[in-house]
Amino acid sequence: MRQLFNALINYKNTLIFIGLLALSLVFLNSRSFYHQSIFSNAALSFSSKFNLIRHNISSYINLAESNKKLHLENEKLKALELFKFAKPLHQNTLLDSFGFEVMSARIVKNSYRGARNYLIIDKGYKDSIEVEMGVITSDGVVGIVNQVTADFSSILSVLHRDLKINARFKKNGAYGSLSWQGNHPKRMKLLDVSTLNPIAIGDTIVTGGMSYYFPYGIPIGTVLDFNKPDLEGYYDIDVELFGNLTQKEFVYILRNNQLSQLKQLNNE
Amino acid sequence: MNSDNLVSVFQFILLLFLQAFLLSNMNFFGFINPNLYLLFIIVYRLDGNTTLLIILGFLLGLFLDLLTQGSGGHTIATLTIAYLRPYIAKFSFGVNNDIPMGMLKGSLLSQRLLYLSMLIFVHHLILFTVIYLSFENIITIIKNTFFTSVFTFLMAYFSMGLFKEKK
Repeated sequence: MRQLFNALINYKNTLIFIGLLALSLVFLNSRSFYHQSIFSNAALSFSSKFNLIRHNISSYINLAESNKKLHLENEKLKALELFKFAKPLHQNTLLDSFGFEVMSARIVKNSYRGARNYLIIDKGYKDSIEVEMGVITSDGVVGIVNQVTADFSSILSVLHRDLKINARFKKNGAYGSLSWQGNHPKRMKLLDVSTLNPIAIGDTIVTGGMSYYFPYGIPIGTVLDFNKPDLEGYYDIDVELFGNLTQKEFVYILRNNQLSQLKQLNNE
Repeated sequence: MNSDNLVSVFQFILLLFLQAFLLSNMNFFGFINPNLYLLFIIVYRLDGNTTLLIILGFLLGLFLDLLTQGSGGHTIATLTIAYLRPYIAKFSFGVNNDIPMGMLKGSLLSQRLLYLSMLIFVHHLILFTVIYLSFENIITIIKNTFFTSVFTFLMAYFSMGLFKEKK
């Protein structure tokens, strides 16, 4: 306390100066409209800056919430997009008829170093995930659900040596099966494309729609290189994926509403 | 000390009225009004009570603003200069800053001129900055500060000659 008083006495000139300065600013403010307007302008710009900072902080805190909202929105948009892609073949074939629902999920664990890779996502049968649902991201195919618990599901990654995905050329519809050779997380092989079809480097590969899991038209990648074996009638094509599966955070799960009908037909 | 206080009160009132009713209405070349009332702060004893000087400076500016319908610029400028005076004195007079009437006698002429001009210039800079208070008028602020400072400096310097004769 004594030290406080000493400090006050030491700085009494400064304190009195500041006090009187504040008083004279009030005096200035009350006497002159010009200064009044300048002060109120300054106060307004200060307070709006402060509000902006406060807004930024609160929006940062609410980021998770808004992220969730965006995901719900993305689900809707993804469904629309897929619906649009599916349209060209929609009319002719039953197999390609669009009947997919989209759900979003977050990747909990993602392996891509092994020869048979799996992903784990944070949704399970509580969220009505079932086995054999297709999983995609914003720019490509991820895999197929192969195991489901209450809150989590495991996904057979496309980076899995035993998984084959039906794929087509976007330009002419020539189809083959896409598989991973186990070398590079962005390279896959497209086999079983007949050499009758002309192809070129840089052609776009999309999902073929001839499976239970994916609708027609999800972009997968482009042709990186190909060769034409002399004796066989099929190309050997290297595909470079659009998406990088090693740095994904969110995925979309596709539920095929017409799965039961398709299975019924296939069994017969 | 008592007679000193009396002289101070007399100076205060005289300079205030002189400034308010004569000097602030001069309008040399249309805009120059020498602020001779600063003399009160200039010749205040260097060993005098600084807190009292701050309060007196504030009152001087306040009364002047009230008498001349000013906006409040004189209050702020005079208050600030009263607060800054010990620092300016220390800067100009160096080790001699404890000579009670150093600004009149007992110090070098160059020191006295530095003290006087700094005090006046800083005061006018604050005064016109507060009065105009905008970046667009910075040329006006500088022009007014410069010419009024020169004029006030000349008047103050000659008036201080009067003080010296008297003592």
